[in-house]
Amino acid sequence: MRYLIKNGSIIDPAQRVATVGDVLVSDGKVERLFEIADRAAEQHVLDDGVEIIDARGAVVAPGFTDLHAYLRQPGEEHKETIASGTRAAAHGGFTTVCAMPTEHPTHDTAATVRLVQELARREGYVHVDVVGALTVGREGRALADLGELAEAGCIAFSDGDRALSDAALMRHALAYAAALGLPVMSFCQEARLSAGWAMHEGAVSTRLGLPGFPAAAEEALIARDIALAELTGAHLHICQVSTAGGVALIRAARARGARVTAEVSPHHLTLTDRWVLGALAAHDPAPKAPARQRRQRNPHPELGLPSWLDPTRLPPYDSSTRVCPPLRTEEDIEALAEGLRDGTIDAIATGHSPQSRVEKECEYGLAAPGISSLETALALALSLVHRGEMDMVDLVARLTEGPAQVLGRSPATLRPGARADIVIFDPDAAWTVDAMRFVSRGQNTPLHGQRLKGQVMLTMAGGKIVFRRNGFGTPDAAPAH
Amino acid sequence: MPTSSTERSRRRHVIDLDDFSATEIEEILTTTESMKEVLSREIKQVPALRGRTIVNMFYEDSTRTRISFELAARALSANIVNFSARGSSVEKGESLVDTVRTLQALGADVVVIRHSQSGAPYLVAQHFRGSVINAGDGRHAHPTQALLDLYTMRERLGQIRGVHVLILGDVVHSRVARSNLWGLTRMGARVTLCGPATLLGPPAYWTATWPEVTISYQLDEVLSSADVVMVLRLQKERQQAGLLPSLREYTRLYGLTPERLARLGERVLIMHPGPMNEGVEISPEAATAPNAVIEEQVTNGVAVRMALLYRLAG
Repeated sequence: MRYLIKNGSIIDPAQRVATVGDVLVSDGKVERLFEIADRAAEQHVLDDGVEIIDARGAVVAPGFTDLHAYLRQPGEEHKETIASGTRAAAHGGFTTVCAMPTEHPTHDTAATVRLVQELARREGYVHVDVVGALTVGREGRALADLGELAEAGCIAFSDGDRALSDAALMRHALAYAAALGLPVMSFCQEARLSAGWAMHEGAVSTRLGLPGFPAAAEEALIARDIALAELTGAHLHICQVSTAGGVALIRAARARGARVTAEVSPHHLTLTDRWVLGALAAHDPAPKAPARQRRQRNPHPELGLPSWLDPTRLPPYDSSTRVCPPLRTEEDIEALAEGLRDGTIDAIATGHSPQSRVEKECEYGLAAPGISSLETALALALSLVHRGEMDMVDLVARLTEGPAQVLGRSPATLRPGARADIVIFDPDAAWTVDAMRFVSRGQNTPLHGQRLKGQVMLTMAGGKIVFRRNGFGTPDAAPAH
Repeated sequence: MPTSSTERSRRRHVIDLDDFSATEIEEILTTTESMKEVLSREIKQVPALRGRTIVNMFYEDSTRTRISFELAARALSANIVNFSARGSSVEKGESLVDTVRTLQALGADVVVIRHSQSGAPYLVAQHFRGSVINAGDGRHAHPTQALLDLYTMRERLGQIRGVHVLILGDVVHSRVARSNLWGLTRMGARVTLCGPATLLGPPAYWTATWPEVTISYQLDEVLSSADVVMVLRLQKERQQAGLLPSLREYTRLYGLTPERLARLGERVLIMHPGPMNEGVEISPEAATAPNAVIEEQVTNGVAVRMALLYRLAG
């Protein structure tokens, strides 16, 4: 099958290309890019069975790579399966998903890893890479057979959202993984400092009487792991950074030449701990000195957080806002956006954590943390562009080139010969989040009912269309907007 | 979720005092006075809530609060049923929401809930068509306690505006302190929080929500200007958790000792939400001093709860 994606705004960070033009796909690969000036050369490809996808008004970019998603299979199929999770990824524009270790069994043997790979090959909508467990059973006591996991094809090691509290074991893990040439993805949470946590520690947790997870509990472990990475020369990847202090530590480490990379989730970039207040936020005084001074270059001040994202739609203590690490403050958001902009943070990673209703419909402090985020990730991330905090090419780079670099791969690209992993999205399409219509089994999102701006229209993985919104790009479809 | 609308329509839930105006608090205190009169009669019962069903849902042990609600409901002739987490469906793994739906189906009009998790009453309110009264949730709120404290202060001091209230002790874990902060600041009192730094947290955590409040780590510096000393219970687990060097040191720095009692004026009210750890946060001398109103607080608690039940279900 051949496709000609016409008239899209092509953004390919790997080639430093941002232009209007057409992309020709055939046999699962990008065959050719035509800029407007090359139109004449294009005519001869149009004959034999090329399907034309009209992408006018939309952005055409390499498919996104998600470094951090919980697909839950095998073991917790009531929360998500590889089929449903990768389908959600396709809806979100992701063509590669790194599957974080499952709960039980976990990715600590080659057998489980191969099962995940096999399920992904048979049932997956997009490519799945497997993150091996760092320790046996993710219990933090003994290293998993990392060599065997590497041979089985794991692309990194991590205990997922369980931090490794034993510093000596972390040192050994880093040294061992470095010898295998693979990164360790560390989730930084000092366990004792955050014991019993329900949300970010600060004014809001004090007002609500919820036990806090202080920023220092993340920063302390980031600092420890950076020191250990420098000691061992290993590649340390910081998962789901959420604090301003964490960003500063990573920036300083990189400046010293440490092999440290980092990711941030779309929700940590956009939502604050005030979302836990829900409706109570309506009567609560806003933070005294809003740290986020609207940037002068913001061309659309009306698209700032308050009008587009409204925490008061939620009831107080809504468990959909409980996520690990917790939603932080405006100051943290500001620092995370700055880190993403200046490259301190390499990638936007969803941290997709689907939960079933049972785990969420309960008291706040007892609810399982996690947000089902694959299907809203792009729109939340685009709010940085709409607010004028980031330009579109950089944002796309953090979803494509950045994660590829973390994995030590050549970046996803639209260069001729590249695997045809392509996303087409309309950055200006406004839509209302309806969690009931998520294709993920996890309907756990604080964004239900919110208006977002930016929507994936079509996703192609390996040259195959794995998601298409309402016949997008066909002659009978409505124009992108 | 609004628990009341701003217009003078009737309040449906009492979850915290954050959504009470000074006027509404005044009205409740006035109703409390009438209820107190009922309780002073020979036959302490009026038929105001005859035929109404109230469920005491106690997920955490609290004999005094439970009995207080029970007596309040009976004095208004309501049916009251006790549901305690122990020996109930909770032990079989039933969720809070399922339990609430069951109580709904059984015809409850009012649910009184005590729970160890902050915010639990909001979850109940989302799934219950009747009224919800919070009888204490985690560290979050204990609005009926704060209202009975306000009533006791007003009864003894004549007014609340301008009164300096010192809330002393384990503030960070205290739902009583938080609800009192809302109530007292709304009624125009001056509030100082005092305790060890480990049981207070950074001052900015408090002043972000209650800008008028003063924070102090030095009891002897703030004690002399107080009109009311509200002593909070110190749970002995705090010491085991490493928050305190020793109970002895706590008493030395923050206890209402006989020496400190002697320095208080005779008109300074001593309050305690109970149960007390006598000899730790409060000395027996202070607990039984003529200016201690700890038993009055308990008595007034029944009247305040009658007033609330009457306003919600009457």
